[in-house]
Amino acid sequence: MFLKTVFTCLAFLVAGTCLGIEPERSVIQILTYRQSPDWSAPWRFDVVQRAGGSGFVIRGKRIMTNAHVVSWARQIIVRKYQDAKPYAAKVEFVAHDCDLAILTVEDESFFDGLPALGFGDLPKVRSTVITYGYPAGGEEISYTRGVVSRIELSPYSHIGNRRLLTVQTDAAINPGNSGGPVVQDDRVVGVAFQGIKSLEGAGFFIPPQVIQRFLKDIEDKHYDGLPLAGAGIASLQNPAYRALLKLPDNNLGARVDRIRSKTHTKNVLRADDVILKIGEFAVASDATILFQSNRVFCAMGFQLGQSGDSVPVQLWRDGKLQDVTVTLEAAVDDQCEGNQFDVEPRYFVFGGLVFTQLSLDYLRDSGREGSEATAGELNYELFFRNREEPELAREEPVVLSSVLTDAVNANFITRGRVLVDRINGIRIEKVADVIRAFASSTNTHDMIEFGGRGSFETLDHAEAVRANTKILKTYGITQDRHL
Amino acid sequence: MKNHFAIRLLLLIAPLAALAETISTNASTWEKSVVNIEVARKSYDYYQPWNRRSERAAKTGVVVGERQILATAQGLSDQTLVRMQKNGRGKWATASVVWIDYHANLALLTTEDAAFWRDLRPADLTSKPPAEGAKLQIVRWREGKLENRQAEFTQYSVNESVGSAINHVQMELDSEIRDAGSGEPVITDSRVAGITASQLGRTCKVITASFIHSVVDAHKSVSPRVLGYFHFYWQPAENPASLAQLKLSGEPRGVLVINVPERLDGVDCVLKPRDIILNIDGFDLDMQGDYIDPEFGSLTLENLSTRGRWAGDDMKMKIWRDGKPLDVMYRLPGYDFKNSLVPIAVHDQMPDYLIVGGLVFQPLTTPYLQRWGSEWERTAPFRLNHYRSDEATKAKPSLVILSQVLPDKFNIGYQEYRSLVVSQVNGQTVNKLADLQAALKKPKDKFHIIDFVPNESLQRIVLAAGDTEREATQRILKRFGIADAEQITSKSAAGK
Repeated sequence: MFLKTVFTCLAFLVAGTCLGIEPERSVIQILTYRQSPDWSAPWRFDVVQRAGGSGFVIRGKRIMTNAHVVSWARQIIVRKYQDAKPYAAKVEFVAHDCDLAILTVEDESFFDGLPALGFGDLPKVRSTVITYGYPAGGEEISYTRGVVSRIELSPYSHIGNRRLLTVQTDAAINPGNSGGPVVQDDRVVGVAFQGIKSLEGAGFFIPPQVIQRFLKDIEDKHYDGLPLAGAGIASLQNPAYRALLKLPDNNLGARVDRIRSKTHTKNVLRADDVILKIGEFAVASDATILFQSNRVFCAMGFQLGQSGDSVPVQLWRDGKLQDVTVTLEAAVDDQCEGNQFDVEPRYFVFGGLVFTQLSLDYLRDSGREGSEATAGELNYELFFRNREEPELAREEPVVLSSVLTDAVNANFITRGRVLVDRINGIRIEKVADVIRAFASSTNTHDMIEFGGRGSFETLDHAEAVRANTKILKTYGITQDRHL
Repeated sequence: MKNHFAIRLLLLIAPLAALAETISTNASTWEKSVVNIEVARKSYDYYQPWNRRSERAAKTGVVVGERQILATAQGLSDQTLVRMQKNGRGKWATASVVWIDYHANLALLTTEDAAFWRDLRPADLTSKPPAEGAKLQIVRWREGKLENRQAEFTQYSVNESVGSAINHVQMELDSEIRDAGSGEPVITDSRVAGITASQLGRTCKVITASFIHSVVDAHKSVSPRVLGYFHFYWQPAENPASLAQLKLSGEPRGVLVINVPERLDGVDCVLKPRDIILNIDGFDLDMQGDYIDPEFGSLTLENLSTRGRWAGDDMKMKIWRDGKPLDVMYRLPGYDFKNSLVPIAVHDQMPDYLIVGGLVFQPLTTPYLQRWGSEWERTAPFRLNHYRSDEATKAKPSLVILSQVLPDKFNIGYQEYRSLVVSQVNGQTVNKLADLQAALKKPKDKFHIIDFVPNESLQRIVLAAGDTEREATQRILKRFGIADAEQITSKSAAGK
C-alpha cells in the first residue's frame, strides 16, 4: 500500500503538476499554412491552404498535437488561451502511423505560466470525458462533454493502413478539435483525432497507451515507428479446425493465417501456429485479448512495445505448447500503400517522361484518368503483387506518370499512368533505377517497357538529352530529379 | 493515304445527303417482312445460383428466306418459349430456334405454324454496303403500327459483338428512334442493310448485311464454322524511334506485337513480341493498325479475323522480325467463352455451383461479377474484377471462388468470408468445380483443407469431412430451401 502510494506520487511529479488548474490554459490553438505536393506532377505543389487544429502543453516545454494537424505545413502558428499573440512553432517529432506530433515554440517565453498537462490511464467505458479544443465555427476555446462508448482497434485514417487502439465517445469532435486533449479528472486521457461522417455524434480519440508508446519511442530523439506483429491472425472457432490442430476446445487461441514476407517474424511464426498468449495476455478464439476490461483484437499485444523489443508468445504448434519470442519491428515497407506526409515524392524527368513512385497518394492524385485496365494494373501492383507474387514484387514500383509533350516524345502512344517494367533491359525496382538505366545506355535508342499487356516506347537517346533542358524550362521544373 | 482521305470525305457527305432527302420507302412493303418476337426465358441470380426466375423480352425479326426469321441472339439464351407475331398484332405463333450464334449475335428462327407464313415475304439483304447518301430507315412494330424512323449513316467501325469478344465491322447510325438495338432491320433501297445490335443515346450499331450473309452461309454447312479472333496484343507503330530500334526499312507502317499469350488449342503462336505485322491476308496495315477494306474503307485490323475467315483458317501474314521480312501462316483460333479465365457469358445452362457444409463455391464469371449492379466494373471486389485482365493458361484455365457461406453450426467461424479464390483443396489444385468435387473425395485425415490465393482476409479453412459434413450439407440445403448441393455441367469436368 505504501509502495503504491509512493509510485503514484512520483508519477504525479514527473508528469507535471496540473491538478487544481484549469486545463484550458494549457490548450493551444494551432494554425497552419500547408502545401502538399501534386503526386502525379511531383515537382509541383498545390495551393497553400490554411488549416486549424488544437494541441496542449506537455512537459519539456512542448506541445502535443495530431500529425495530421501539422503535416505538409509551411508555417505553424500557435496561440495561447485568450492571448492574441501568434508564436511560430516547428515540428520536433512526428509519427504519422499513430497520428501524433510534438511541437516546439521558437520563443520559449510562450510557455511561461502554462502548466504541462499530465496523462491519465485508459478511461473506463461509460465514464465521462471532456474535450478541449478550437473547432471550426468560432475563435474561442470549446468544451464538449461525453461518455466513453467503446474501446477497440480501429483504422487511423491519417495514414490509412494501420489499426490501433481507439476510444469512441459521444463528445462532439469536429474539425479543429484535432490534437486537443480529452480530459478526465484533470488528466489527459486522449488526443482527439477523427470522426466518421456516417456516425453522427461519434468522435474518436487516441488513448494514453498509444501516446505513451510514442513518447517513449522518441526518448532517443528518433521516431522508429509503430511495431507490428508481422503476421495475419485469424479467429479459430471452428471445431474442425481446432480438432485438426489437436487443440483443446477451450475457447483459447487464435491462428496465424499468414506472415508478412519482409519481417523477422517469418523466422519465428508460421501458418497454423496457434497463439495462446502474447506477453501477459491470453488470446481468445475470436483473436481478442482482454485489455483493461475491453475485448480488443490481439494485435494490440504487439503494439505496446518499441521496435526491437522482444515479446514472449506462447504457441500451440504440432500438438504441443511452445514458447517463442517475437522481436517487434516497425514496418516501413508498406509506406506507399498508406498516405504519406512530409517527404516529397521521388521522381525523375527525362526527355519529357515523368517517372515517379507508385503510391496510394499517386493513385488518388492521378484520379481515374487512363483506362480501367491500366488503373487495375497499378492497383494490383501496389496492393496485391507483394502478397500473391512476393518474388515479383518491386521495392518501389515506378510509374510513367505523364509525358510532357515535346518533339522528342510527340509520337508516343503511351501518355502516362502506366507501370514501368524495364528500361534498356534493366528491371525497374525503384526511381533510382530509372536514372541508372538511362545513364548506362550505350544504344542510340532507349527502350521503355511497361507493365500490363507489355506495351513499349522508344526514345532517341541523343535527342532526349538535347531536349531535356528545354523541356524542364518549358514546364517550370527546377530539378530533373528528387530522390 | 489518298484512299484514306477519300473515305473520310465520303463519311462527311453521307449524313448531309440523308438529311436532305425525304423518306420514300413504302412502309407496307415491310409489313410483310418484319415480325415481333417475344421471348420467355429463365434468368439466374448468380449470388444464389440455385434460384431462377422468368423474364420476358421483346425483339424484332425480319423474314429472310423460306420460313426463316433473322434476329439477334441477344436475349435468346435460356429461352423457355419463343413466339412470333406478324402484322404487329393478332395471334402469336410458337417459334423454334434453328441456330443461334452468340458470338455473331445472330439467330435464325422458324415456326411450324403454316398460317404464320401466309402473306409474309422474305426481304433481300443488300449485297453492298449503303452507298453515299443512301436513304436509311429503321423499321419495327410499335403498338400495332409499323414505325419507320429515319437514320443517318455515321461511320463503319470495328467493335466487339454484343455479348462476345469477337470483333467485326458494324455500321453506326444516328437516329431519333428510342429503345432500339433489338434486331430492328435497317433499310436502304428496299433491302436490308443490317439489323440493329445496340443503341446508346442516338447512336445505333448495326450488324451489316455482309456479316449476316457470311454467318448465315456458315451455318448452312453440315458442320457450322466458328468465328475466330486474333490471340495477340498489338500497339500502333506511330513512334518512329520504335521502328528504328526494330530496324524497319522503308516507310513507317505495320503494327507492333506486344504480347502473345499462350494458346490453349496447342497451335504454335507463330508471332513474337516485337514483331511488326505489315500485312494480313493480303491487306497492308498502316501504322495505326488500319487497312483499306474493299467494302467499308479504312477499318482496324481486328476485322480481318472475321472478314470471311473462320476458326482454323490459315492466314498469311507478312511480318518484320529481327530486321528482316518474314512470311508466316497464322492459324486463327476459335473463340469460346470457356477459354477465358473469367468467361464473359454463360448461356443455356444453370450457373454452376457446389455447396459443401454451407460453403458455396462457384466459377468466377462475368455474370457473377455483374450481380454487383450496373456499376459492377467499379463496385465488384477489385481483385475478382482484375482477374478479367489475365489470360487463361493451361495451368490456370479458370477460377473457383468461395462466394458465400450459408451459416450453420458446422461452419461456425467462417460465416463472414466470401469472394475468396480457391487455390487448393486437400492438397489438389482447383481450377474448376469438377476439380473441387474430385478433391473433396480425398479428405486429409477426416478433414477438408481449403486453401485460398494469398489475400488479406483468410488463407485457409478447415471443415470436418465424412458423415458430419454430409449431414450438415443436407441440413443446410433443407433450411435454405435448396434442392441440390451441386450443379456442375459436364463440359466443365476436370481435364476437358
